[in-house]
Amino acid sequence: MSVPLASQPANIAMTAGMPPKHISRTRRATFFSLVGLGTIVGAWLSYIFLSENGMRISEWGLLLVFIPLYYQLNVGFWTALFGVWLMNRPQPDPLSLWLSLNADDYEQPITASTAIILPVFNEDVTRVYEGLRSIYLSLEATGQSKHFDFFILSDSDKASQWIEEETAWLELCRQLKAFGRIFYRRRRKQINRKSGNVSDFCRRWGKRYRYMVVLDADSLMSGALLTSLVRIMEKNPAIGIVQTFPKQIAADTLLGRVMQFAQALYGPPFMAGLDYWQCGEANFWGHNAILRLAPFIEHCALPPLPANAPFGGHILSHDFVEAALMRKAGYAVRLLPTTRGSYEEGPPTLVDMLKRDRRWCQGNMQHLWLLFAKGWHPMSRINFLHGILSYVSSLLWFFFLVLATLLAATPTPHVKPQAILAEHILLAVTAMLIFLPKTVILLDEVITGRMFKPLRLRLLTFVSSLLDTVVFTLMAPVLMIFHSRFVVYTIIGKSVSWVTQRRKIDGGINWSEILYTFLSVTLLGVAWGVLGWYVSKAFLIWISPILFSLVISILVAALVSSGRSGRRLGFFLTPEEHEPPTVLNNMQQNLKEIKDRIPLSPELERHYGLMQVCLDPYVNGLHVSLLRRRRTIEVSSAYLKEISHRLITQGPQTLNAQELKALMHDTDTVTNLHYRIWSAADHELAPFWATAIRQYNLASTSPFAHTLAKQEVE
Amino acid sequence: MEAVNIQFAPATGTEEEWNEAYARLADYFRSYQLHNRIRRTQLILETLRNAAKAHAVDPTRTPTAHSIEQARFMLREWLGSIYSDLNLNEAQLEATGRLGFHLAGGPSRWPQFFLDEQNMPEDMAEAMRSAIRTSGPGMQVSKMTPRDIDLGMFTDVADDTFDRLGRHPILRYSVLVIIIGSVLGYLYSLFG
Repeated sequence: MSVPLASQPANIAMTAGMPPKHISRTRRATFFSLVGLGTIVGAWLSYIFLSENGMRISEWGLLLVFIPLYYQLNVGFWTALFGVWLMNRPQPDPLSLWLSLNADDYEQPITASTAIILPVFNEDVTRVYEGLRSIYLSLEATGQSKHFDFFILSDSDKASQWIEEETAWLELCRQLKAFGRIFYRRRRKQINRKSGNVSDFCRRWGKRYRYMVVLDADSLMSGALLTSLVRIMEKNPAIGIVQTFPKQIAADTLLGRVMQFAQALYGPPFMAGLDYWQCGEANFWGHNAILRLAPFIEHCALPPLPANAPFGGHILSHDFVEAALMRKAGYAVRLLPTTRGSYEEGPPTLVDMLKRDRRWCQGNMQHLWLLFAKGWHPMSRINFLHGILSYVSSLLWFFFLVLATLLAATPTPHVKPQAILAEHILLAVTAMLIFLPKTVILLDEVITGRMFKPLRLRLLTFVSSLLDTVVFTLMAPVLMIFHSRFVVYTIIGKSVSWVTQRRKIDGGINWSEILYTFLSVTLLGVAWGVLGWYVSKAFLIWISPILFSLVISILVAALVSSGRSGRRLGFFLTPEEHEPPTVLNNMQQNLKEIKDRIPLSPELERHYGLMQVCLDPYVNGLHVSLLRRRRTIEVSSAYLKEISHRLITQGPQTLNAQELKALMHDTDTVTNLHYRIWSAADHELAPFWATAIRQYNLASTSPFAHTLAKQEVE
Repeated sequence: MEAVNIQFAPATGTEEEWNEAYARLADYFRSYQLHNRIRRTQLILETLRNAAKAHAVDPTRTPTAHSIEQARFMLREWLGSIYSDLNLNEAQLEATGRLGFHLAGGPSRWPQFFLDEQNMPEDMAEAMRSAIRTSGPGMQVSKMTPRDIDLGMFTDVADDTFDRLGRHPILRYSVLVIIIGSVLGYLYSLFG
């Protein structure tokens, strides 16, 4: 193992942080024995029931898809139970990373240099920078911020977005007096998406820092947790990556709030359980984690996969692979079960969730290549397998239901007491595997009050948990259909494009989007129901909960995407909603201040960045200054003249994204646009510019702070 | 501060054209966030006088165009005297200089000295110079080279298959049709 000795403090064992092998092995042997036993028992009971009259092909098929589904069910069940046990036992987990820090460690000044990087791609500028401000201030409050630098690594390819990011960066640095602490870099070519962006940072600045904290555009982390992460890394030189548990926050739709409630309630025991059996071979989820940079740079660069997208090419779900590479290099990848200090936002609507899942599905399916690659730690293979299964299992479930329909159409009598008993036991065990973890976690919360101490809130949590079961039961079959589709799309070669994730809904329910997305699911549910009616009434009753969910999927999608989230009644309350942590509170106050401002006309708001760079002498100066170092003209000056003329005389709406980007990349063009627009008579200008000139100075006393709150640091 | 000299009598151009130029200059200087109205008025009139002279020489261009051009000349001259030691070309001088004025807090701290070459306070000039000296962290370039992952036997079989399927969409869909056909055939045989 090539741990960089010189960079570590003295008197620390170089293996610190890597769980002892005998403990890891014992834990995994216990865990997977129970999972294996549960799966075997389930498969055996299923076989006894199905084979009563001999096994037909369809029955073998059913058994075949049943086994991985039951395995997955068992993994979830035992993970949750181990988690609840760990959380309730009197002694803390001896492998807990928190135990590696003592009271004196918190008093020691941090000397390790750490880069906090924030890769962005056409994200909401206000949310990104206000989140960054909150993290920065929280870190400052610890008094240990001296050795932390922030990097906004932009891959944004929309001209206006790009300019807004630059101006927000400058204004934030000015307000926080953080020049030389917060840096902005935009890549001209977005090679290899987010992982390429991070690699680019590592190549340029990686050597300057010992650690790197990776954030997502919607991440939020407290200064206390950030400093603790660095201290944990310092005390545990054998750790390559520490992944925190990012809790979902700031949701305002029913789906978002149910998800964040479920995560707050069931997440901690699941994390504790995962930590129990993953030990030093945990996963990296791509953000809200700290990485040791030297081994990351040396070992975790990603090669392209053979063949083309969707299965081959650039690795989409890079985080799992980076974790596996880090472990292969001899460094531990650890999960840090946390309940405060690490946050992210989830998708607001079901459609947004499905868009995200489509990307994740393709990324996980790509890992099929890596499953049998040489040199992985066996646990890394299991992590890959679980990632693949999380999507393929939907297709398996779909096959299971199709085969069950087929068997119902060609019934064989089940009369032997042994077969009937097996069926009943199997149903009971399956129900237990599904509902017992939730029940145990809920009881644990009601008794211990981990989330809330007041009894009223514990009771509300109890009711909310019952309600979330209804929501998830309604959504599960719909997700099954879509995930199955995504798996099939990936297999037949339909690749996904890189799009910005929507994190907030702009207006009300988008009915046309919902109808377009879910109509086919409703029709499938109706057709299946009609088929079931003809096949067997008893079967129809058995499958009706699933078919009912499919039939009403449009209504479910609309319901969960609405702003009626039960908040007024106190349902789905999370600790972060009840008592927001300072880092979240600060950000939300600033976001509210910005939201309450009077907006410009929609046309000007849409092209605000472009308007600024053309009209504002300071923004123009900033943009040209940032462009200065990379002055390479890739397009002809005649082309730039033509599109500049069109921009001035016909307005920005007549230029496409590529043309706007080409203009913004050329220093002379950007400088000239500024003077040409101001020099032109009203009749020579497009109406957009005539309005913009009149309104620009009236819009804001500080145009730089258009996307930011005005919160100067004294 | 100098007294405001409001005398302005252009020899060429219409009153309407000069009014438009005046309005544009007012907006232009306001975009510099110069909230000192007296200084802004001084600047507008000074620029208009220069523009009137230029318009008399070249009346083919509008007074508005001449006014903005004169404002640009004045800015270049002013910035040139501040950043003379930094060896910047014209485009860099304008961009960097404007940014420097903003970062130094010029619009709020020294609005009355904007474009005033004669009475330039040294602390303002120094603040503008030092504001643009801050730069990013020096790069320490490192290599981050991907290492090949030995994908084992799976690679050869899968690579060939995917490659072939990828090159021939008809083949890809044929495989799918065969699978679906087989399932339907099986169902037919079951019920038939």
